Amino acid sequence: MISKITYTIKKYSFLLRQLVSRDFKVKYKRSVLGVLWSLLYPVLTMSVMALVFSNMFKMSMPNVNYLVYLMTGLVIFNYFSEASNLAMSSVVGNFSLINKVYMPKYIFPVSKCLFVGINFLLTLIPLYAIIFLTGTGITWHHILLPYAFICLLMFTLGMGFILSAVSVFLRDMFYIYGVVITLWTYMTPIMYDVAIIPEKFMFIFKCNPLYWIVKFVRDIVIYHAVPTLNVWIYCGICGLVFLVIGMVIFKKTQDKFIYYV
Amino acid sequence: MEKDNDIMINADNISMRFNLGIEKGFSLKQGFIDLFHPKKRKEKKKNKNEFWALKDVSFKVKKGEVVGFIGSNGAGKSTLLKVIAGVMKPTKGHVNSYGNICPMIELGAGFDPQLTARENIYLNGAVMGYSKELLDSKFDEIVEFSELKDFLDVPVQNFSSGMVARLAFSIATIVEPEILIVDEILSVGDIAFQAKSEAKMMSMINGGTTVLYVSHSIEAIKKLCDKVIWIEHGVVQKIGGKEVCDDYLNYVNN
Repeated sequence: MISKITYTIKKYSFLLRQLVSRDFKVKYKRSVLGVLWSLLYPVLTMSVMALVFSNMFKMSMPNVNYLVYLMTGLVIFNYFSEASNLAMSSVVGNFSLINKVYMPKYIFPVSKCLFVGINFLLTLIPLYAIIFLTGTGITWHHILLPYAFICLLMFTLGMGFILSAVSVFLRDMFYIYGVVITLWTYMTPIMYDVAIIPEKFMFIFKCNPLYWIVKFVRDIVIYHAVPTLNVWIYCGICGLVFLVIGMVIFKKTQDKFIYYV
Repeated sequence: MEKDNDIMINADNISMRFNLGIEKGFSLKQGFIDLFHPKKRKEKKKNKNEFWALKDVSFKVKKGEVVGFIGSNGAGKSTLLKVIAGVMKPTKGHVNSYGNICPMIELGAGFDPQLTARENIYLNGAVMGYSKELLDSKFDEIVEFSELKDFLDVPVQNFSSGMVARLAFSIATIVEPEILIVDEILSVGDIAFQAKSEAKMMSMINGGTTVLYVSHSIEAIKKLCDKVIWIEHGVVQKIGGKEVCDDYLNYVNN
């Protein structure tokens, strides 16, 4: 079993790398600034949001730099939203390949999640620049961050598997998910302080895996604290559970894809 | 008695069912419209027949054999090749193949039109299951065979269809697979390239590769194949030598 898995990984890692690099090349083909956009784009969109929310809505938080608060939330959420969206259309979009050559179909959502993952790592550069410039300071706690990133990747992969499988059978998913993701943006405390939420609605937030991941990252980046044990556990469970559910759904349905596309 | 290790492909009672109702897809809009046409809905249900693209197809292919598949359009030949290549899973029965398969079902399926020829060689090679080392070592050979040296850094979307086909053929045939699945591609490129690709195919066949070949050109089948399988409406009509071609021609002409 394990030898079979390592064999598959070895055999298809080259294909995976090729698919990821294809996405990268195609994305920046013919743009003058090229890969620089990976840095510029998040900085510019975040500046717009920061401008709007801190000046127009007078959003601010006691003892917390709002810019850093906003950016940590945005970096995490943007990764999830972009990766899950691309993963969702990856199976339908690559149908001409699936129909002609044998290859494991999970490679498409996985490659999208990794491709956006590289972009995500690039957006950490402007994030750290802002942490540095605002004098938020960097402590040893930052070495705990990869745990949150791995949980985020697992959660996104799981969602990617579920969405890409479901969208094969139900094309309406593309539109439904567009609405869902908009709702999700506002249901995750990205631009506002979670303290403004009445206690009776907090359970909705606590069901949201992204809430826990964002909380984990902010505890470290903004409050320089080790997240409490329950935050660690919720992040891990959300990642694992969604990944397993996604894998099961994908595996169960993948042989039927060919009839529906 | 045949020795088991001589058998490269063993197709055992493969059946492939397509549900024509499913293939059309379900949409809420259609469901809503049907709501007001109860009659039509009933008809539709009746028409929602299953379509068997393949019915109990069994055959064995021995090592080094060149097998031709003939039959009318929609007889199930391409479906059969896809099942053998592992692209589709048969509804019933199973296929065992013993050896690496190179499916040349539709060439250039993995090309990204925005990438250059150079980038596409690696991408398409990866899609075909080649390793990076192999592609590095065979890169020059691919370029030379395709005769596209001057266009290596041009995006494939600017290629003519003949150029795309030449590139795809060159990538697909760079390894000598144990089983080669060919779906009518010998007519690739211009006349000079056709001759070249045919010579390449012949050398692969003579080199002991097992070939599954689908074509509507009875002449090509007669020239290349030792064994001919005639399929009609998903059912094997006849398996035999070249004489099957004549039976098929008789059937078509009547």
